[in-house]
Amino acid sequence: MKPEEAARLLHAYVDRELDAAKSLELEAQLAADPALRERFARLRELSAGIREKADYHAAPSSLAARLSAALPGAASIAPRRATRWILPAAAAALAAALAVGIALVRPGDEDALLREMVASHVRSTLGNRLIDVASSDQHTVKPWLSARLPFSPPVADFSPEGFELAGARVDYVGGRPVAVLVYKRRQHLIDAFIWPGSGPRDGAYSRDGFNVERSSVEGMRICLVSDLNRNELSDLARLLIARR
Amino acid sequence: MTDRRRFEQQVLPHIDAAFNLARWLTRNDHDAEDVVQDAMLRAYRHFEGLRGEARPWLLAIVRNACFSWIRRNRPAEVAAGPDEEAATAPADGPEALLARELDRRMLNEAIAALPLQFREVLILRELEDLSYREIARIADVPIGTVMSRLARARRLLAESVRVIAVASRLQTEK
Repeated sequence: MKPEEAARLLHAYVDRELDAAKSLELEAQLAADPALRERFARLRELSAGIREKADYHAAPSSLAARLSAALPGAASIAPRRATRWILPAAAAALAAALAVGIALVRPGDEDALLREMVASHVRSTLGNRLIDVASSDQHTVKPWLSARLPFSPPVADFSPEGFELAGARVDYVGGRPVAVLVYKRRQHLIDAFIWPGSGPRDGAYSRDGFNVERSSVEGMRICLVSDLNRNELSDLARLLIARR
Repeated sequence: MTDRRRFEQQVLPHIDAAFNLARWLTRNDHDAEDVVQDAMLRAYRHFEGLRGEARPWLLAIVRNACFSWIRRNRPAEVAAGPDEEAATAPADGPEALLARELDRRMLNEAIAALPLQFREVLILRELEDLSYREIARIADVPIGTVMSRLARARRLLAESVRVIAVASRLQTEK
């Protein structure tokens, strides 16, 4: 590989867009060329710096309200004005989840289970997040969950790896109470649904624009739901499994 | 389930992504709100055409709405980007900039000052975390162009952050 080509492909490599063969070639080049290595390190830093420091402009709540009024048909979700209805909404959402859970879900109905988890995630993000206990401290979150559930879910903060524990809630999915750990990565929220026993088979799925990553370890099911990309979602799954 | 309900479940949750893109492209809260509202209503009308993931689909609509708006209100900005030829020149330039030196305000100013077609790919890649393929579809250019624009965007950005940093250092020394 010529140096010009290596320099050109560096961006694709940082963005994890290079195919396996080219990646290997470039990695060999990186090992042999300290100047290229230096550029690679700086490029990664620049990319990380942008992700961390560039403003992410979230939509103002007035926009959601305007839209809700402008869309034809009746609103079925309260507009995102949201932040102040969070307490009554939490109760309403839980009631809705219970109702939906009982009406729709038979045990073992994978698709319904997925739908429920995505719906729960959407509800929580629309309501500017449904967190019952907001803490990045696993020693606060874990006892809180254990006190409310018949099992003790694994709880860990992965801030050093870029997944900050934001808190947790208890939800009702597939006819059973589940622990939901809420993680933050950049502007993305990730819900980790955890419960003991059987569940859908492992793998990554995409549903309604959200990614779902399912795994299990030592009798616990872990389902991650987020609009975060799959690669990073699997990173979190691996961390959770390793910590278990 | 009604269309409206499905739209609220599948598309509306991405309103932040829509606004973020529009805000970075128009560089103004008020205009971004107008553009996103138009784009959302348009998305609703074309909702049946949605295949696959909602977020890139919605962002393509928002992006087009932004470009129409910019063409109407700031035609010079669309016409006058640096040419692609320069953009595809071999990467020799310095990304030589350490992230810890990056001041938040300076960085945001520097991104806002990037020419439109570079700002667009940078936001889609770094803030929306979309793949080259998705960005290519949204910006309606070949994947190779996404690559070269992104490389160019990062070089321009590193360069202008450095210039801003030097300038502000001179200011304080005065």
